[in-house]
Amino acid sequence: MKERALQVLLVEDNAGDARLLREMFSKERAESFELTHLLRMSEAVTHLAKGGVDIVLLDMGLPDGHGLDTVRRAHAAAPGVPVIVLTGLDDEALAAEAMKEGAQDYLIKGQIENRALPRALRHAIERHRMQTETDLIRTNQIQFKDEFLSHVSHELRSPLTAIYQFVTILLDKLAGELNMEQHEYLEIVLRNVKQLQSMIDDLVEVTRVQAGKLMIEPQCTSVSDAIVYTVNTLQGAATAKGITLSSVMGHRLPSVCADPTRIRQILIILVDNAIKFTPANGAVKVQARILNEKPNLLVVEVSDSGCGISTDMTERVFERLYQVTDNGQAGRKGLGLGLYICKELVTRQGGHIWVTSSPQQGSIFSFTLPVFSLAHLISPLLKNEEWPADSVALVTVEIRSPDGWLSKETREEWSRDTRSLLQRCVLPDLDVLLPKMESGGSGELFQVVAFADEKGVAVLTKRIREQFQRLNHCKESGLIFSTSYRLLKRAPTNASAPREDLADEMAARIEDLIKSESLERTVRS
Amino acid sequence: MSNKKILIVDDDPDVRQGMNLRLRANQYETFFAADALSVVVEARKHEPDLIILDLGLPAGDGFVVMERLKAIPSLAVIPVIVVSARDARANQERAVKAGAKAFLQKPVDNAQLLAVIRQALGEPAQPADQGSL
Repeated sequence: MKERALQVLLVEDNAGDARLLREMFSKERAESFELTHLLRMSEAVTHLAKGGVDIVLLDMGLPDGHGLDTVRRAHAAAPGVPVIVLTGLDDEALAAEAMKEGAQDYLIKGQIENRALPRALRHAIERHRMQTETDLIRTNQIQFKDEFLSHVSHELRSPLTAIYQFVTILLDKLAGELNMEQHEYLEIVLRNVKQLQSMIDDLVEVTRVQAGKLMIEPQCTSVSDAIVYTVNTLQGAATAKGITLSSVMGHRLPSVCADPTRIRQILIILVDNAIKFTPANGAVKVQARILNEKPNLLVVEVSDSGCGISTDMTERVFERLYQVTDNGQAGRKGLGLGLYICKELVTRQGGHIWVTSSPQQGSIFSFTLPVFSLAHLISPLLKNEEWPADSVALVTVEIRSPDGWLSKETREEWSRDTRSLLQRCVLPDLDVLLPKMESGGSGELFQVVAFADEKGVAVLTKRIREQFQRLNHCKESGLIFSTSYRLLKRAPTNASAPREDLADEMAARIEDLIKSESLERTVRS
Repeated sequence: MSNKKILIVDDDPDVRQGMNLRLRANQYETFFAADALSVVVEARKHEPDLIILDLGLPAGDGFVVMERLKAIPSLAVIPVIVVSARDARANQERAVKAGAKAFLQKPVDNAQLLAVIRQALGEPAQPADQGSL
């Protein structure tokens, strides 16, 4: 069978270099290569976009494109086409960078042997084909694994439901009285049902982490609340094992910018682990404090008096599927996913997690979360040399459901939709959509700090209202939507004051406004 | 005392029976459907105050059922609570948009199930629901 000629695109503005390369091709059989020569990057991009090119020979110094930028543009115009860059003798470092950007190979001008050029082209194409194939296989594998895990967890949950239903029916004495022993044994069954349930949840969660689908919704939230919640939830388990579970919170702990559900999830995993690996009469303690060396971070520590971890294992415990080899201490096993999930959750919220431990001395698991700072949020806006207005507005948007929120899920879903709608309405260099500051009783509150005057605010609220009315299901569900705003006159500027001070001062005034808003709201409802 | 009528739609007989015992212990009257086709028939026959709906059903899934119910004015007004083993994040939004009052992930905590049922029926919450485990 006759092979199709390889379509080679040469992008080179130097006539001498181009002639040399053409000559090399002319020595090959005419039917094996077909060369197109262009002088400009812009022409190359147009040509590539039309398709049909098998490989690109690209000079990195063109009149309308230079360095790595040329490689990026070639890739953008034809993502599937391999690129070989042509460089000068003194530019090997740049060529190496180009390889990182996805170039298949590089050739140094003046050092290309006659026969080497066609070989390099064929190799590059073949390498590129293999790479594409491997990528495809990997994508398919991940997708298969996702579907498989989702299927398995669904199938496991169904029988688990029946077990849960009937165990609780017996425990609630809906099928008659129980003696002490029967009651105790059924409690054991129930405990294991819950264990199994949390393992299935972990499986699903890990699939989500790996598929990059983990949802994190940061807001201004209190770590203390999450600690109190965790200690209350696990107090029973600790007491049952004869372990003292306590918490110590630093004085005047600031709020953090993180997802409260995720903080609770992290803490539950860490404290549950600590209880699991601590013998009777031991102690587990949860502490939160500001990091002295980095006051913009809050550190939470979960310490135990358990069996500890050998130093060489302190990194490995966060790996996926890592399980302690000596299971003597742990009463029940998990999937070895908990700490891996913790690490993902902490990292994705801008924090860091680590453990300090030595065998028989207990362990301290620590993680950090960014402290919430309004000043930090608004300071980029203060960089605007000229404000269009001499005032700042706090715009409050509220949504509420006429018949109450039937489930936490609906409320969260609506909250998410509204937040992304607002994000589209605000102007990135003038407005800041604040993270959720408080959970407003019957409604959901959203606040925008807008650097605008009365007129500007009117435009903004009009835009928000119009967007909101376009949401069809909002009309159907009869969701109530309202906006209000408060204006804050800008303080006389002290030209000599440093910008950070200005941000701090503005933030303080806006915070006061938010507080008085929430106070009014409480009085009204 | 409630005595409101609930139609339980689930293809798993064990789950149906478990749900039945739990709801009857809380003074609800219960009826059943085991597939998507019989939901409309049973709903017309018994005129339930609430439908508890599984998503994975023979002869069309829970979403098909919700569409059918919506198309019949007398049945469209009955609140539906979806109780499913399917992944919450992938299905909850879809279920709520299809008209469900809530999405609950199996296995559902008894107290949570009863609270959601009472809310959907407009009944006052009861702290001592049978099933606070």
